[in-house]
Amino acid sequence: MSKYLDYDIIVVGAGHAGSEAAAAAARIGARTLLITMNLEAIGKMSCNPAIGGIGKGQIAREIDALGGIMGRITDYAGIQFRMLNKKKGPAVWSPRAQCDRQLYAQGVRRELESIEKLYMRADTVTEILVTEGCVQGVRTQLGREYSAGAVILTSGTFMNGTIHIGEKQFGGGRMGEKASSGVTASLQEIGFESGRLKTGTPPRVDGRTIDYQSVEEQPGDPEASPFSFMTDALPKKQRCCWLTYTNATVHDILRTGFDRSPMFVGRIQGQGPRYCPSIEDKIDRFADKDRHQLFLEPEGWHTEEVYVNGFSTSLPEETQSEALRSVAGLENVHMLRPGYAIEYDYFPPYQVRYSLETKRVDRLYFAGQINGTTGYEEAAAQGIMAGINAARSLKDLPPIVLSRSEAYIGVLIDDLVAKGTDEPYRMFTSRAEHRILLRQDNSDSRLTPLGRDIGLVDDERMKRFDERQEAIRQTRINVESTTISPEVINDYLASVGTSSIEQPEKLTKLAVRPQVSLKNIIDYAKLREEIVVEGPGLEAVETLVEIELKYAGYVKREQALVAQMVKLDSFPIPRNIDFSRLDHIAMEAREKLNKIQPESIGQASRISGVSPADISVLMVMLKKRQLGSHAD
Amino acid sequence: MTPIDGDTIVARATARGIAAIAMIRLSGPDALDIAQNCFSGTDLSAKESHTAHVGFMQSVLKNDLDQVVVTIFRAPKTVTGENVVEITCHGGELVSHRILDAIIQAGARPAEPGEFTQRAFLNGKMDLAQAEAVSELIHSGSRRAHTISLAHLKGSYSVLLHDLREEMLDMCGFIELELDFAEEDVEFADKARLSDLLERTKALLKRLIESYRYGAVVRDGIRIVLAGRPNAGKSTLLNALVGFDRAIVSEIPGTTRDEIGEEAEYEGIRLRFMDTAGLRKSGDEIESEGVRRAEASIRKADVLMYVYDATIGLEEEEQEFLDDLKKNESDLHIFVVRNKCDLLDGETAVDGEHSLSALRAMNDESLVIPLLSDIVKSVEEDDSYGEGSYVVTNERHRYHLGEAYEAIVSAMNGLSADMTGEVIALDLRLAMKELGAITGATATEEILDRIFSRFCIGK
Repeated sequence: MSKYLDYDIIVVGAGHAGSEAAAAAARIGARTLLITMNLEAIGKMSCNPAIGGIGKGQIAREIDALGGIMGRITDYAGIQFRMLNKKKGPAVWSPRAQCDRQLYAQGVRRELESIEKLYMRADTVTEILVTEGCVQGVRTQLGREYSAGAVILTSGTFMNGTIHIGEKQFGGGRMGEKASSGVTASLQEIGFESGRLKTGTPPRVDGRTIDYQSVEEQPGDPEASPFSFMTDALPKKQRCCWLTYTNATVHDILRTGFDRSPMFVGRIQGQGPRYCPSIEDKIDRFADKDRHQLFLEPEGWHTEEVYVNGFSTSLPEETQSEALRSVAGLENVHMLRPGYAIEYDYFPPYQVRYSLETKRVDRLYFAGQINGTTGYEEAAAQGIMAGINAARSLKDLPPIVLSRSEAYIGVLIDDLVAKGTDEPYRMFTSRAEHRILLRQDNSDSRLTPLGRDIGLVDDERMKRFDERQEAIRQTRINVESTTISPEVINDYLASVGTSSIEQPEKLTKLAVRPQVSLKNIIDYAKLREEIVVEGPGLEAVETLVEIELKYAGYVKREQALVAQMVKLDSFPIPRNIDFSRLDHIAMEAREKLNKIQPESIGQASRISGVSPADISVLMVMLKKRQLGSHAD
Repeated sequence: MTPIDGDTIVARATARGIAAIAMIRLSGPDALDIAQNCFSGTDLSAKESHTAHVGFMQSVLKNDLDQVVVTIFRAPKTVTGENVVEITCHGGELVSHRILDAIIQAGARPAEPGEFTQRAFLNGKMDLAQAEAVSELIHSGSRRAHTISLAHLKGSYSVLLHDLREEMLDMCGFIELELDFAEEDVEFADKARLSDLLERTKALLKRLIESYRYGAVVRDGIRIVLAGRPNAGKSTLLNALVGFDRAIVSEIPGTTRDEIGEEAEYEGIRLRFMDTAGLRKSGDEIESEGVRRAEASIRKADVLMYVYDATIGLEEEEQEFLDDLKKNESDLHIFVVRNKCDLLDGETAVDGEHSLSALRAMNDESLVIPLLSDIVKSVEEDDSYGEGSYVVTNERHRYHLGEAYEAIVSAMNGLSADMTGEVIALDLRLAMKELGAITGATATEEILDRIFSRFCIGK
């Protein structure tokens, strides 16, 4: 077979999941073909021009720590950087960046083009080729058959995508781009179950028609935090966003379109995300709220296009336009593109394993919205894991599965696989029970050594990582051996409202006080040269040490909890068990177990409807089976 | 119900109910130490594995609870693969219940259903036959104990538990709202609001926990000890109370040398009477042993019925004895019975005492009804049982509620020390998890549901 048609891995789709998957697979060494309907749309931000946010920013940092591309491209394309939740504890600090939409896509393309074993092809995949339960390759609209050892499907909103604007309804994967068809049917034929989800996007408007005097300015952080551990400097200049509000008139105008709303009249069947409701949903469900905030976000450095965040809608275009013109600052606004809703096919994620390989077809992987998630970061996280695991499967290496206590990525995939989802799944920090451990500041120490083992962390990143860890270690030792006398520090302590000291006190003791900042103490006591060993990266080393000190007690407590789960997770459940025959397990639990086919006792215990007693019985049954098979 | 290294579990291994003996089993690394803390016999740490030792189990206050046989098994050759201690005690609810309580207070945790099995499994200690038998056992027990959810819990307990859960969901909702949706245009709970929610939750938990003592009364009955001078008529009174002859009644003082157990039921509550030897200093060796036991019985009782002869009156020494008890045993309800009133010339009542004639009551039950009624009322109306109608009867529930309470207290401390939300959330999560062990799983999803249903989230 010609090499042109024969690859190790084929990635279908080049959004955030597909790009990470292709980059990871190829960099590990697999000859990888990335097939996308439109090469110009690689790495496109389909919805808001921003990466990160609460929970999502942590994921982006993890992808970067593993050696993924999202973090570096965000730093390259970012136009405004903020660290959200800075007033709260470091466990919930979350980086977020507004990005230049075009620059981002360009950055992804450039990144992919720099990878030696990565090939691209513009075509539409219409069928996944499967023989005897193992994937063989794909067939495309142009009639070509590409063969591969593994296939990663990252279809986004394209599979049977339907766009709704008011009473208008047409096929499409994004505005102005065709939907794809055929793949869902070919998978259903093999026995996959598919469902429909819905998402939406707001209108884009022309910034030249916004009255910026009437809206509130939202600047970036003066000290911007980068996404990538590889970034040394961010753009000095940042663009700001703007804040305005809807009002009663806007709501009244929107209501006039309700009788033509595809959501309210029932034309849209797919479930939408509750945390990202359309504006019509907001005024309908929270009728007593007289205004909703709207963020006006610039789409790039060199464009006047503005994204109206908070105004996602599928109401008729004229209603959208008229309503926008009643918003303060938008009285004369010119709409460049209406908001719309899109319905698409997904495959309920109980059908994939922790490796993201499907249970039904060997070496077929799903990543991104196809698994029921929403968000660039969630997609990219699955993409990199699917890319890693597909490449490893071809080398007969075991899959990499991150645990819930190792990474948000582990929480994400475990939630999907063990619990499933019937609405688009978005990450929140509250989903991570061990969030104290899963911080954006320590993503590198959690994951970079693993990324190195996998083959995604190059020498340069590893060198930086080692230097940084060494700087943290040295600084910590210095902090621990430093004692400060009352006359040096009492004025500072008083200024932050904490009690003064009588005797010389260990610096570590002072640093754990909630009101105290280690950085400020060090500077106040003029100890920087003595204590702080500078390391690469934009974050201050002493801040990292301070976080470690302040959280030490809680981290210990969490680690004890983690130990419980590890034991259960390490008990595998063999594949292809017929749970329905386990009489002593409650019927509901049997059905759930049969559907989800858990891979470990730990996973089984996290399935809703499976009781601790069911787990005990299951363990006993497994033991019986094991003993029984020995007897044979 | 996940095995934790360092965690020791305890449960009754024999079925509940009246039997000649009962067995309580501990498993975990600290099983021996914990058992030792409650055991007055030999130093277990010096003994070899698979050996049995006789001694007394003791409460935290070092009161003897029962004479027992303690058998120790050292890991790994044990039924669970961990250190195991088996305590064989006398049968009956009360004894094993009190021993369990003592062991839990000494640091063990009540085992979740099936947890011994799980540990045995995890440590590779199970053969095919055992596996069969145990899965049957868990199966039969699980319909009762494991499918517990709010819907299955009956009565006002479930109402209170439901309220408690709602309060906790609200609280977690408020905390998580601020952590996960800081950018949203919603009003976040201020410190006063959170602290108010925490107070309410704490109060609800407290009521539930305190109801456990009353729950134990409902389950195990009220333990009533009869005491008094020899020949004050205790045995006659006991006979009148239970309605038939049981105690040896004679005119010779000091006839009753052993505790005599009798039961009656009044208004659905089991009353467990213990007659005791008369309280007097006696040269008779057998009788002074009886007196010693009577004093021990009083310490274990819920109610003391102190009987004196109205023709003699309450002596100064007796009054001192009662005053001492009132001072030192705050949980004990004391009823003073002025017996033999039929022998007085005029029947004069004394405030705060029950005047009656046990002899007459033998033939006329109605004469003891006011006394029985007061006893039951005193226990039911005990302030410390909360509002009385909320009753936790399960020791595992009590344990989880207690842990939840500790977590809430810790969250309150965190809040007043100005700790940030994610740290307070740790405690709230822990409290939710403990409650979940009673009501069925509680999940992040429910907290998020609450947030989405109450607040307009989403740009």
